Amino acid sequence: MKYQIVVAGFGGQGVVFLVKVLSICAGKKGYKFLGTENHGMSQRGGSVSSHIKIGDFYNPLIDYAQADLLIGLDKDEAILNLPYLKKGGKVVVNADEFPKIDAEIYAIDANGLAEQGVFDAKGLNVFMLGITLEKVKDFPFSVDEVKAAIEEINPKFAPKNFEILDKAIEYAKNI
Amino acid sequence: MKLTLMGNEAIAWGLIHSNTQMVSGYPGTPSSEILTTVQKIKKDLPIYAEWATNEKVGFEVAYAGAIAGVNAAATMKQVGLNVASDALMSASFIGNKGAFVLIVADDPGFNSSQTEQDSREFARFARIPVVDPATPAEAYEFTKLASKISKHFETPVMLRSVMRVSHSREIVDIDEGFKFQEVKGDFQRDISRWAAVPRAGRLKQAYEQLDRLDKIREYNYKELIEPKIKELKGTKNLIISSGAAYGYVKEVLEELGLDIDLLKIDMPYPLPNDRLKELVKKYEKVLVVEETYPVIEEEIRSENVYGRMSGHMHQVDEMNKERVLEALKKIGFYEGENIYTPAFEPHDAHIRKPNLCPGCPHRDMYFAIKKVFRPKKSIYPSDIGCYTLGINLEGIDTVLCMGASVSMAHGFSIADKNKTVIATIGDSTFFHGGIPPLINAVYQKAKFILVILDNSTVAMTGRQTTPERENPEVDLKKVVEGCGAEVMEYFYKPDINETINFFKEVKKRYEEIDKPLVVISRQYCVLDKERAKDFLPGIFATVDEEKCVACDVCTTQFVCPPMHYNEKHKIEIDPLLCIGCGVCITGICPTDAFIPRSEK
Repeated sequence: MKYQIVVAGFGGQGVVFLVKVLSICAGKKGYKFLGTENHGMSQRGGSVSSHIKIGDFYNPLIDYAQADLLIGLDKDEAILNLPYLKKGGKVVVNADEFPKIDAEIYAIDANGLAEQGVFDAKGLNVFMLGITLEKVKDFPFSVDEVKAAIEEINPKFAPKNFEILDKAIEYAKNI
Repeated sequence: MKLTLMGNEAIAWGLIHSNTQMVSGYPGTPSSEILTTVQKIKKDLPIYAEWATNEKVGFEVAYAGAIAGVNAAATMKQVGLNVASDALMSASFIGNKGAFVLIVADDPGFNSSQTEQDSREFARFARIPVVDPATPAEAYEFTKLASKISKHFETPVMLRSVMRVSHSREIVDIDEGFKFQEVKGDFQRDISRWAAVPRAGRLKQAYEQLDRLDKIREYNYKELIEPKIKELKGTKNLIISSGAAYGYVKEVLEELGLDIDLLKIDMPYPLPNDRLKELVKKYEKVLVVEETYPVIEEEIRSENVYGRMSGHMHQVDEMNKERVLEALKKIGFYEGENIYTPAFEPHDAHIRKPNLCPGCPHRDMYFAIKKVFRPKKSIYPSDIGCYTLGINLEGIDTVLCMGASVSMAHGFSIADKNKTVIATIGDSTFFHGGIPPLINAVYQKAKFILVILDNSTVAMTGRQTTPERENPEVDLKKVVEGCGAEVMEYFYKPDINETINFFKEVKKRYEEIDKPLVVISRQYCVLDKERAKDFLPGIFATVDEEKCVACDVCTTQFVCPPMHYNEKHKIEIDPLLCIGCGVCITGICPTDAFIPRSEK
């Protein structure tokens, strides 16, 4: 099992939360896990990208043309991270439209949906994870595994996050 | 017990699981979470885990503990070690009774630092052993190893981490059912050992140090290197690597399908040089892959050893697999294609620069300073912290190292008398390194303005507490007055006119006096949940598009993240980012285009 994911966004969007969720999922399934994230200057609204490597890896950084999946919490940040994606890889991105490239692209205008009140904008990260769970067939974790990880990180907010996750999955079924 | 840990958290567990009773240091990315994690997980254990005013102070507090026989550690980032290096150079002669682990996190690639110096080089310079973990799980094991070696050989031992270890996450198997064993500190008087005075005692210790290094070299070979050499297959060529760099090499070899012996060095100094040179002779070519300086390469240099010094590895910036691949090509270990060539190029994407947070008072201060002290007639030295982002507002001319704003303000005031020097520094940075230069400036009768941006937190590195916050008996104003400077105190208001008027008063006073004038601005950090609510008025802004003339004043002079041009080329405020400080409404815009959202 080898699976590499780049999560791209900016400070405050909850990129690091997703890293934690996926690391717990991996741990519970007995997969090796390495992830890295940017701190410091990036916390002040700058780009935050995280690399997640599940399986037999020895270094946390993903190199160009290696990622199986790119989750973009922001359109520009997703575009900036495209070099990491392998040919034919998958992109789940918060954008109304996205450049047409040789990859499987799921562009969802999540900002628009949040503005319409479909979900709380603070849960954007979880919403995009829900879209991923429904659309990306080779994603290594199931909905229940992701929920168990969310519960472990913060049981108090778990019900609210589950609600957002379920909404995203329902939404993704219809597109 | 298996836990998913960040490298810095793994180091913290390693400290506890080696009975470390004293930990001190100073925050700095990427090292800060080590000490805060110890604070979080120590629970009722008898561990002193507290920040110090700077790295040198933290080192010395912890080191005294190690002299008194308890296990101790100091944590810092690589530039912090520059500050603590005075203490280190003597400590390496004197040694310790309890373990003393010096934890330094390097930042290859300048991710959040002004240098990418290799602290292993510092360990070699100070003649202390250094261990170099590759991943968080190894960081946990190596912390315990460093503690063991330090206690056994009575020498400080460095644990050198890098950003990709400190800020990585991995599933780490930590010791189950560990029982912490408290040791009561018991200082044993031994003046000839503990008092580092010239000359006889030092001479003796210098010989002892060489002897000790030879023993550690032997330990390094027997315990750490020989078992790995036994596993080598004897291919034509060899790669030697250490730390995070090892992970890149291992993956590249697998991904390219290359069968080349790979030797991982856990302790890059001191090395059993002679034995390694023997090993190197058995191979045709040897490539050394390490980050960031050629430490191992220099130690084992021979005709068939290649790396940075031979020009085969890249010279600066962070390692990546493409760089390893290129080196393999250059040296002739690989002839195929570059599998790390991007399949897609990023095009037409907006790059997001780090910026001061919406509502951050630092922004007002730089805006007002520039209004009152015009750029053509002023020099703006600054310092290291969040406020360094004032560089986006062009409110900063120089940044050097912690505390240098004060001494450089002094220097500029002597060299360029036609300009007003107005420097900025944070409260934590002032306590760290700003006090001696302020005393010097008063002592030498300098004339400049120093603005201490007091938000009572170390904001940049995760809001660690400052001395004054933790114990109000440390009185910033009294400290500055005690240095002999004149103080003007400002109680921040989210109204730009108030701030500008205050600086007009500052300018008046500056012209009247002949000594350093220190402004203490009592403000807050918007991320500081405890205090921010008392400062934020909750006045959210929007734009009257008819008034906006797209003059760029707000986007270049104020630079608040929610402000951006829309498709009509009018300024727009992102309602999700605005936190309601209301400052822009009070007079940033020359045409008064910012208005309260409630009025629209």
